[in-house]
Amino acid sequence: MKLSTNTNRAALNGRATFFLSVFLLASVFTAGHATGSGAIGDHVNDMSANIDSYNDEVVWLIGKVDVIVDTYEKEGAKAAAPEAVVDHWEAVDFHSAIEVNYIPLYASIWQGLFGVRVAIEEGAPIDVVRAEQDKLEQTLWQSLGAVKVAAQYQERGLLPDVEATTPDSPIETIDVIKQRLDRTLAKYAEKLDDEAIGIVQDTYLNLFEGIEGMLIEQDADLVESLEIDFNVALPKAIQDGKSVDDVRGVINTMQDKLDRCKALLRAAEEQRSDVF
Amino acid sequence: MRRRTFVKGLSAAAAAPLLTPRLAAATSVDDLDPLVGELTLYLGRGEGGLYENVLEAIEKRNPDFTLKIRRGPTAALANVIVAEAGAGVRGPDVFWAVDSGAIGLVSDAGLAKPLPTDLTDLLQEEFRFERWAPVTGRIRTLPFHTGRLQATNIPDSIMALPDSDLSLGWAPAYASFQSFVTAMRILQGDADTEAWLRRMDKRAKPFAGELGVVMAVERGEVDVGLANHYYTLRLKSGKPDASVDLAFTRNDAGCLVNASGVLALNNDDLTINFIRYLFTTQVQSFLAREAYEIPLVSGVNPPAGLPPLDTISPPKVDLTLLADLKPTLDLMRKAGVL
Repeated sequence: MKLSTNTNRAALNGRATFFLSVFLLASVFTAGHATGSGAIGDHVNDMSANIDSYNDEVVWLIGKVDVIVDTYEKEGAKAAAPEAVVDHWEAVDFHSAIEVNYIPLYASIWQGLFGVRVAIEEGAPIDVVRAEQDKLEQTLWQSLGAVKVAAQYQERGLLPDVEATTPDSPIETIDVIKQRLDRTLAKYAEKLDDEAIGIVQDTYLNLFEGIEGMLIEQDADLVESLEIDFNVALPKAIQDGKSVDDVRGVINTMQDKLDRCKALLRAAEEQRSDVF
Repeated sequence: MRRRTFVKGLSAAAAAPLLTPRLAAATSVDDLDPLVGELTLYLGRGEGGLYENVLEAIEKRNPDFTLKIRRGPTAALANVIVAEAGAGVRGPDVFWAVDSGAIGLVSDAGLAKPLPTDLTDLLQEEFRFERWAPVTGRIRTLPFHTGRLQATNIPDSIMALPDSDLSLGWAPAYASFQSFVTAMRILQGDADTEAWLRRMDKRAKPFAGELGVVMAVERGEVDVGLANHYYTLRLKSGKPDASVDLAFTRNDAGCLVNASGVLALNNDDLTINFIRYLFTTQVQSFLAREAYEIPLVSGVNPPAGLPPLDTISPPKVDLTLLADLKPTLDLMRKAGVL
């Protein structure tokens, strides 16, 4: 079952201010400063001091999901109230720590949460539900590891300044585009389809459009392929309600093409004539 | 339908200076004083980052000069400048915007300082303004599929285009297109513009951006598109056998020349001398060569593949009026194209 965007927006209302105006990751990690309402919490700016808390939250969340799955096994879907997995996830600070530090895993967590929830709501056999639960737990532990590493980077002052996320070169622009595609997947995994498509459209018009003129001189076919990806393939995959893995596949393909674009632009820049 | 006869096509790359010869020729960077001190520049983004190359080169050439740059979408920066001035906050010394509409927004707020005439005189006469200076231009064009058409098959009136039997492509959400519609409103009035939009909407295939339009033309998906000139030139540069060429309308919004522009918010010597660098032969040539922009100073060649502007007849439009986008967007929504 695929929930409507409106339904999920209502469900997610409690953290409506959660969305950050920062783009994520220089390559893997990036700084996690809240720039908007503050709902993200100061803890993300001092993650080392909060690692134990994050650890406790992951354990707590896994326990909550386990109770839901146990209840489903014994008493059925209605008693299990699987929609609570989203509420539990939204209640933990770890939520924002992983969102600002490693958006691909953030998307996978949402995918895992809905994997458990939908399996229960559809009355899937318990072994199928347990398999979804196992995947979610693995992703949560992996995410905790990612936050721990990011915390070390943060402590050493190695995370980039989020204020400097406006790209000042075509190559940096490609990095930001790739990050925004990761965010697209995260929002899709959250069932925020309209927001996901909005990110795709904004990224195309405000970032990709600015560099494709240079790219077309290097490889017109590659640009044309990405044009189709931005304007047809990715929006259609989202609108058609494809699985998160399917959408991830489209995005991974686009990111591979963008890496080729980056190499082409780097080579072109080396060949560029001097101004003076 | 009137037929055009003057466009020679991209293969006839023109090397002639644009428009009529000028009294003041572009200066060489070697004739300028060194820059010493610090300036704050707000840079409206565009042209794939090549403005950055120019700025880096200026800094490299002037080791005692520091440029503090704030980057962002052009319209947003214009609004920031106005807001900062209103709040009494010290803003930039210079604003370099990718489109003249944003320049108009700042200029209308009374924030732009007059530029010296020896600087503005470097520009072709129709591009001389008291409080801002167009740096480089771009022209609206009609890219067409060369496998099916010749330039003479294309109407030379933009207003006649939707009444032709040609298949068309356009990108109504694209900022340059909206500036073009604004120019049409100024030149033709709202009623004719709305009628044109409605007629076009029945005929034209929409695309997200104008590169998409040009590529659709090249594939033969549509006969003719509406787009800024540089996409076609860049495509031809990377793919010389691409089946696309440029046609131009005459003396209407369809061949509007819009421009990036610079204005001074501080008229001290350092600010003005910095702006002079943008109008040197070297910078203008670089932007023509690498960004396919149209130089607006005398004695600098246009980008390869573009006919000289004196063979085209762009309309006379106060470019700063193109900032007035809201009525345009309202009209486009009313016509159902947005």
